This record gives sequence, structure tokens and C-alpha cells, in this order.
Amino acid sequence: MTTLPDTPYVQVENLVARYGTRTILDGVSMTARRGEITVILGGSGCGKSTLLRHIVGLLTPAAGRVLINGQDIHQASEDEQEVILRNLGMSFQAGALFNSMTLEENVALPIIEHAKADAATATTLARMKLSLVGLGHAGHLLPAEISGGMKKRAAVARALALDPQLLLFDELSAGLDPVTARELDELILRLKMQLGVVILIVTHELSSIQMIADQAVMLHAGKVIASGPLADVRALEHPQVHAFFDRQPRPVTMQQALLQTLLVNGES
Amino acid sequence: MLIPIHSADSASLIHLREHLLAEATPGSRVILDLKAVEKLTSLEAALLLRLVIEGKKKNLEVRFSSLSLEAQQAFTGLETNMLTDGATAAEDLSPVEEVGEQTLEFVAAGRRLLDLIGELTYWLVIAPWRGKGMKWDRTLEQITKVGIEGIPIVTFLSFLIGAVLALNSASQLRQFGAAIYIANLVGVSMTREMAPLITAIIVSGRSGAAITAELGTMVVSEEVDAMRTMALSPGRFLLLPRVLGLLCAVPCLTILSNLAGIFGGYWIGVILLGLGSRNYLQQTAQALLISDLITGMVKSVVFALLIGLVACYRGLYVQGGAEGVGTNTTASVVTSIVLCILADALFTTIFFYFE
Repeated sequence: MTTLPDTPYVQVENLVARYGTRTILDGVSMTARRGEITVILGGSGCGKSTLLRHIVGLLTPAAGRVLINGQDIHQASEDEQEVILRNLGMSFQAGALFNSMTLEENVALPIIEHAKADAATATTLARMKLSLVGLGHAGHLLPAEISGGMKKRAAVARALALDPQLLLFDELSAGLDPVTARELDELILRLKMQLGVVILIVTHELSSIQMIADQAVMLHAGKVIASGPLADVRALEHPQVHAFFDRQPRPVTMQQALLQTLLVNGES
Repeated sequence: MLIPIHSADSASLIHLREHLLAEATPGSRVILDLKAVEKLTSLEAALLLRLVIEGKKKNLEVRFSSLSLEAQQAFTGLETNMLTDGATAAEDLSPVEEVGEQTLEFVAAGRRLLDLIGELTYWLVIAPWRGKGMKWDRTLEQITKVGIEGIPIVTFLSFLIGAVLALNSASQLRQFGAAIYIANLVGVSMTREMAPLITAIIVSGRSGAAITAELGTMVVSEEVDAMRTMALSPGRFLLLPRVLGLLCAVPCLTILSNLAGIFGGYWIGVILLGLGSRNYLQQTAQALLISDLITGMVKSVVFALLIGLVACYRGLYVQGGAEGVGTNTTASVVTSIVLCILADALFTTIFFYFE
């Protein structure tokens, strides 16, 4: 199924996610469009990665739905789901490269399986993808032999292997030195310019957000508290939004107030 | 009740808590006067908080008085749920709730196992008809790992088992001048019982553990999730090749174990007991029936399936990082050995009555 150019490629509608009795996402709705970078923001543990996992169908929602290119990924048949997944590429927080394979083999695997290319063609294509992320020289190395930044770039190359319409990155620049993080941000901007794909990024790195985000969706305690163009979200009068962008620590006053309840007559 | 606190060290606070919880009248209000305490460590603050929480459970209202500003710093990180003991609420299940929880977990585990069997059946039986063939290269890799690399240990241990069986039976049978029947005993024991079982135990310790650890590590490092997002089914790429590898390798190893075990008995019988090579081999050939070999082979196939299912299940459902991988690997080996011995007992009973 194809959609009109104006229709969002990714539509999340009233998504509810639970782990046991804990509600992680509570009625989350958001969209992501072609040619735009949508950043999912929020503090640690607010449900960002869980949202991403629902979008790619790794988790099944307790309620609500996720439409990818107009199709509900959780209701799709096996063949339909395969088509959806072949059109998306995801890079995980720690890369999630197959440790028993070289970088080249990692990138070539989806090409061999889905593009039905012979091994030589797949290897050539894998080398091209690795060059795109600046790892053309490292294809023969195993994941254990490279740095964290290189792993993340290799994971991006693997996500790009089948020229997907939708790219998802989970904490791409987290834990990296500022130079490598900046290089990855520039890589994402280049991908947006060159490929015009939908890019969804989960992050809480402020510098990265400011550099790459077109749209932002901000989560707090499992709910969307702000969404829209980054500038609009930043300008929003909301204490959590301010706290996030202005890097304010959790209000000590709340803690203080709690302690007061333990003191006789609220004395201090 | 006002209790002046002169020293807020851990031992004094623990003593105070025991004393207070045992003796204070429920419903009363206890005020801890901390005027003499200039500052607190975070451990002492936590002990004071426990007093509040546990006091609340006994219907005591515990409050602090004259807490200096410096001492208040020790309560940094205080959150509402800490005062309600919310973090440990889940652990305090009643026995009935505990049984319910365990039952639900058992049902969920059964469902996951059925899912796994369903997935394997799909990729083995249905998917090839839909143009999604099996991964023979990965299956061959597993046959090599389980089978070829397992040959030395299986051969060596089976040889020893055969030799030990011969030695043990020799001491009894020689008394009746029936030492030649060592050949019967070793041959039949090895083919029907010992070879399939010893092979299964070695394979579950060697390959079953490796499969669980490998799959578990892949789960923990999100490699399995990455496969799923690439529309590559773990069932097709990871599970089926491993189970098929076991199904091919274990019967072959069992045949080898039969031969090694019989040779172990032969070696003792001929070299140590002087039974004569020709006599021993003739006696073995007469004692063995084709049904003995088939029985052993049927068992080995079932054992391979059990080891494969347990190893894949334990690996695929690892939780809790590296520790979870270790726990599930141990559980995988123990479960598969127990299941193999149970299945062996069941088979032996069935064959005993139907032969």
C-alpha cells in the first residue's frame, strides 16, 4: 500500500505499552514524515526505546496501533510484515552486530537474504555501505576488534543495506566522544539530504538534537508532553521541557517538601 | 513519646528500631529528637527512613525533630515511593498470590515452548513449500560443531564405559565360568542403554550448553532483535539449524559410541581375560538383535530433540544480562539431562512390556 505524499510514513496512535503491571507508554501518539528527522526525546526510563521497539514490531502494544506506510505492523500478515521490515533499517543502542561475522558479512547478510544477490555482489554492496559511513577499510574486522563508535557506524551501514524508506536509531551518539558523535550527526544529515528517507532517532543528547532534529516528540513518564517542530517544542511553557533543554536537575524543592513531612510541624 | 538521639551510628539506630517496634504502643506518635546529631551519613539516613516505614506498618507515626540542615543533606535522593515501601511491595506476596504467580509463569513458559515448537515445525515443514528453504550451510556448521568435534570425547568415554562394564561383570561371571557372556552384557547394554544415554549426556553438557550460551548472549546483546528487524527469522537462521544439527549428529555419535563401548569390552575381554578375539566377536554378534540397535537409535533421536528444544528455549528466553545467560546455561544442561534420563526410563519400560 502506498500513501499520499502528505500522509505521515509512521503513525503511532494511542499506544499503550505495559511490562507486567507497569505501564510504560500511556496513550502515545506521534507521526514521522519523509525527508524529516524526528527525534524522540526524554529523560532516562521515560519509554523512548520501548516506543521504538513497538514501531518496528518487536513488542506488541497493549492498546493502540502503529501504522507504517499506512499498514498496521502488528496486524499485518507474515508476508506483509516482511515487506514492511525490508523497508526499514534499525540501529540498536550498542550496535547489535553479529559477533561471529565480519563487518562486511554483517552488512551483506540482509542483502543476500532479501535482495537475492550473489555473495560477490552482496560483498561489493556491503563495502559501498561501509564506505558511506567511513568504514571502507574495516570490512574484514570482527565487531570485537573495533571501537564503540565504529560499531555504531557499522550498525548504520547495516541498517542502510537494503536502501530502506525508514531509518531508526536508538541512542546513536550515546556514550561516544564528542568528535565521533558529531561525525555520526553529520552522517545522519547527509543521509537525509541524499536519500530523503524518514529518520526516527531516540536520543537525549542535547547537542545532537539541536544539530539534526526537524521534529521533536518529547516523552515524560510514558506520555507525550510536547511534539512538533523542534523550535516550537523548545519554546513551549512546560516545566519538564524547560528542565530537559536547560539541563535543570530534578527540583530539590520536591525532595525538600517530602522531607518536611517527616519532621515535626514541618520544622527544618 | 519523645526519644532523644545522642548517637546516630548504625548500631544504635538498629537497636532503637528493634526496641521501638517491639515496645511502642500501636497508634502512638514517636518523635526522634536529633538535636545532638550534627550530621548523618546516607546509611544512617536510610536507617531512620526504615524506622518511619516499619513504624507505619505497626501503626506508629515516627517523626524527626531538630534535624540540622547538614543532616538533612543525607536524605538526598528521597522519593515518595520510598516512604510507602513501594519498591518491596511486589516481594510481599501472600502464599496464595505466590502460587497464582508461579502458575501463571508456568502457563506462560508452556506457551513459549509451544511457540518454539510451532516455529520450528513451520520452518521445517511449511516454509520450504513457500520458497523459504532451510539454511543448510548453517545446519552443516552445527553438525560439524556437535558431531565432528564431539567424536573424540564420545569415543573416549564410551570406550571407558564399555571397559568398566566388562570389568565389573567379569568379577561375577567368572565365578560361574560364564566370562564369555561379558560380550553379551557389554553389547546389549551399550546398544540399548549406555551409548544413547552417555552420548546424550555428553552432548547436552558440551553442545546444549554452548547453544544456550550462544543464543542467550545474542539475546542480551540485541542481536536476535536486530535479526527480527531485518525480517530474518531467528527460527530459520538460529534455531532450526541447531536442532537439525543435533538430530543428525547425535544418532551418528551414538553409533560411534556403540562401537567404542563394544571395543572397550572387547579389549578387556581379549587382552585381560583372554577370552579370544574370534569368540568374543562371535558372541557379541549372536547377542545383538537388530531391535537392540533400533531401540538405541530411536532413543538417540528423541534425546537429540529434547536437548535441542531445551537448549534453544533456555537460550532464547534469557533474562537479566550476563547472569541470566549463566543461569539459563546451567538450567539447560540440568533440564536436558533429567529429561533424557526420564525419557530413557519411559522407553525402557515400554520396550520391556512390548517386546
